[in-house]
Amino acid sequence: MTNKEKYEEVFTDSFSLDKSKLNEKLVYESVPDWDSIGHMGMIAELEEVFSIELDTDDIIDFSSFERGKEILKKYDVDI
Amino acid sequence: MSENNKTLSFDLMGIQECQRNRYPLLFVDQITEAIPGKSARGIKCFSYNEWFFPAHFDDEPNVPGFIQVECLVQTFIMSFLCIDEYRGMKTNFVSIDKVKFKRKIVPGERLDIEATLDSLKRGIAKGHAESYVNGEFACCAEFVITIPDVLDSFKPQKDK
Repeated sequence: MTNKEKYEEVFTDSFSLDKSKLNEKLVYESVPDWDSIGHMGMIAELEEVFSIELDTDDIIDFSSFERGKEILKKYDVDI
Repeated sequence: MSENNKTLSFDLMGIQECQRNRYPLLFVDQITEAIPGKSARGIKCFSYNEWFFPAHFDDEPNVPGFIQVECLVQTFIMSFLCIDEYRGMKTNFVSIDKVKFKRKIVPGERLDIEATLDSLKRGIAKGHAESYVNGEFACCAEFVITIPDVLDSFKPQKDK
């Protein structure tokens, strides 16, 4: 499984989304399951899948599907 | 968490310093052992003077299931609310799973509760608790609980 596939699967699983919803419009609180609790679940899943630990500032900055890709680059995870 | 190696205990006043539940919804009477960040043991003594017994039921008083679950969770949250940085914070349920009730609890009985904190990260606590009356299994549940004051500090900024 590629990093892109893993990244997308975390989002579809965490927020009960169809893959077609994974685009630039997917931002924090744009779908019902991406609330503060869903956010922590998604972050925890990304950390496990990519064996990383995100800094607090990056967790707060992780405000969209697209922004997340940029943040993960800092952890040597290219999506 | 400097308290990690300590074993603590709390009377009713100490419990109220750690958690925000109050009469008529504070049920755990005593925390006999709390290992910060790991586990907690608590007790709840039920006398007929409890406000719910006349209503549940007048001809057969026994402890309602939701109160048994509250006893479990109020013991469970002491496993992390006894840590200085979380002491006195409010908590909310995210989920309750695998709840099982095995016996009726009646006036005069004491519930012994054993709770384990499986993880605590960024304001989300996961764990489970079991309870016993005279050594006989009574009820159990698994919990996911948030500490909103902590969780909110990790919320993304909107419009970014």
